[in-house]
Amino acid sequence: MNKVLMTALTALLAGSALAADPAFPKAPSGKVTLEVWSWVPGLDKTVQAFEKAYPNIDVKVTNLGGGPQTYTKLLTTLKAGTGAPDVAQIEYGFLPAFVDTGGLTDLSTLGANNYKKYFVPWTWGQVSPDGKAVFAIPQDTGPFAMVYNDAALKKYGVAVPRTWAEYEKAAATVYTKSGGQVKLGNFYATFAPWFMALAWADGAQFFKRDGDRWVQTLNNPTAKKVLNYWYGMIKKGHVGTLNAFTSDYWNAVGAGKVLSNMEAAWGPGGYAGSLKNKTAGQWRAANLPQWTAGSTVRSGNWGGSSNVVTAQSKNKEAAMLFSLWLNLSQSAITNNWVNGGLFPASDAGLDLAVLKDKTKNPSKFFGGQDISAVYARASRGVNVNFQWAPWFPFANDNFNKQMDLMLKGRLTPDQALDAWQRETLAEAKKQGYDVR
Amino acid sequence: MKPPRAVPWLFLSPFLVLFAAFYVAPVLYAGYLSLFIKKRAGFGPAKEVFGGLTNYVRAFQDSEFLTSLLNILKFAAVQIPLMIVLATALALALDASRGRLQGFFRTAFYLPYTIPSVIAGLLWGYLYSRNLSPFNQITGRSFDFLGSDVVLWSIANIVTWTWTGYNMITLYAALQNIPSDLYEAARIDGADGWNLTRFIKLPLLKPSLLLVLIFSIIGTMQIFSEPFVIRPLGYVPDNITPNTYLYLVATRDGNFSYAATLAILLAVFTLLLSAVFLRFTRRGGEV
Repeated sequence: MNKVLMTALTALLAGSALAADPAFPKAPSGKVTLEVWSWVPGLDKTVQAFEKAYPNIDVKVTNLGGGPQTYTKLLTTLKAGTGAPDVAQIEYGFLPAFVDTGGLTDLSTLGANNYKKYFVPWTWGQVSPDGKAVFAIPQDTGPFAMVYNDAALKKYGVAVPRTWAEYEKAAATVYTKSGGQVKLGNFYATFAPWFMALAWADGAQFFKRDGDRWVQTLNNPTAKKVLNYWYGMIKKGHVGTLNAFTSDYWNAVGAGKVLSNMEAAWGPGGYAGSLKNKTAGQWRAANLPQWTAGSTVRSGNWGGSSNVVTAQSKNKEAAMLFSLWLNLSQSAITNNWVNGGLFPASDAGLDLAVLKDKTKNPSKFFGGQDISAVYARASRGVNVNFQWAPWFPFANDNFNKQMDLMLKGRLTPDQALDAWQRETLAEAKKQGYDVR
Repeated sequence: MKPPRAVPWLFLSPFLVLFAAFYVAPVLYAGYLSLFIKKRAGFGPAKEVFGGLTNYVRAFQDSEFLTSLLNILKFAAVQIPLMIVLATALALALDASRGRLQGFFRTAFYLPYTIPSVIAGLLWGYLYSRNLSPFNQITGRSFDFLGSDVVLWSIANIVTWTWTGYNMITLYAALQNIPSDLYEAARIDGADGWNLTRFIKLPLLKPSLLLVLIFSIIGTMQIFSEPFVIRPLGYVPDNITPNTYLYLVATRDGNFSYAATLAILLAVFTLLLSAVFLRFTRRGGEV
């Protein structure tokens, strides 16, 4: 009797806390245990709220550290046909490769399409390429904006660039005034999605489905324009080529040797976390520089992730319920932002009060600026039709090879992109894809 | 009384079971896997169909794989002799020394081996990073130890650092086993210092040296952790070693069959290399 009362009470309490949330699907009855693989810091705390709201569902979170480690393990368990979790986190670019294994559940069969309206449109395009099947629930996004050290920019008498032409000029000024010691920006030569996001912002398409076939255009004209632009600055020494997320990079930024960079919405959290007190409060975020000055901001996306339900899951309904709740309930979105710096993919999430909290990082690191407003604007300026191909993991690595040759001066930017296209196309064909 | 015939098998059985489960079975499975290829029709998951020797044919035309073999051969040709000479010199020096310092140096040289290769990779990764490297800070340069042209040799340095002490211990143990009457006889004949090393120690060290060499060849062919740990720090080619390449073929491209093919070819290649080496060294005389 007591137990029933308690359950009813908890449900009631949880219900009121989630007042503004969409109506989630009904939880399946009976005891359910979900295994979740994710790299979001502090997810275990978020999960406690879920378990309170759905007392018959137990969630076991395993943090595999993200990136290649997680994918390797997931791919192996999908191949083995056993050992996969119920829910896993996958970045958008890598999602098609996993769809291709046949190891994911098509969530449209469980009614996922009813929730499409709650997400920023381009994010749904990433998880439902053909508009019918749904292979994941969008989790977080990485719309692109510029972060910059405002104090340092003022020191060099440089205004915040709004166009790429202004950016190029500013880079030259900083370089000259600092005697070649300081660079305005940095080119991440080992992160294809970073470069692709820059081209994405200008309308570039790298992969496209064409009926039953694929079209790949890694060397599209926009990509060539963007790469030539950056290569020009690299050659003059106006921007650096330090590797992203290395101690080398953070050291240079903290020492005031790199003054700005194009970063995804999850990036500012990294700046706040990695630089700690160094240059804290001096940073700001601004719109991505545009090719043509104007009122509409166009942006691309770098990273961001989604939650898939594996075909091996024995509790697919509960797994989808959890994925929806994790990315649509206010309490979860709040936690994901506060603990993991995840920039929400849901429309309502973009307006969440916690995103604008100036006393907490990353906004605190950014001098109390409401940086989420900048990123929300960027998110709404992301091209909806951008697609990834299942062989993207190969393209991702091959990009590094071509950039290395380009930076050594053995390939021009155009040749590097042509080689990227050629070698990746050959590999895709070897993997059996009908692609041109 | 003669023991029943089953007794030796009984004692051997734990080994045989484990050997079958963790060695024979995976090898057979890899061989089986290597006979399949992926077939696609339109969208959706690929089907695995029997492909005969298709994967093997592909491997022999795969310039990435052949480059990786060439890389590792270059690596072995430079790193192994360097390491063996170093290890031998250290073992001889230790053997010739006396007293408390001997124990200290023995431990000090051996210590790097106790550090797992992943940790060693991380440690050296820091020492190699362009702006933070103490080498660069002391010399005031900005040398890129992780540049794609030199990274193979930066890895060779890590491997040498890790394994020299280990090999030294093996050689040192062999030196300690040389009976003292041999030295006495040599001294009576007037041999001393360098001559003692040249005519007594080194010839008697030969079997151990061969063992160390063979292990080094096999170990080199399997290098994986060091380049893998260094990969996120800069651009390290996919095919810097055969193992990194086949790992990526499996886990990145999802082509387990082709990776299995490459693994089998790598094993055969290593076996051949060891066999040729043994053949070559044995010709010079008895071991």
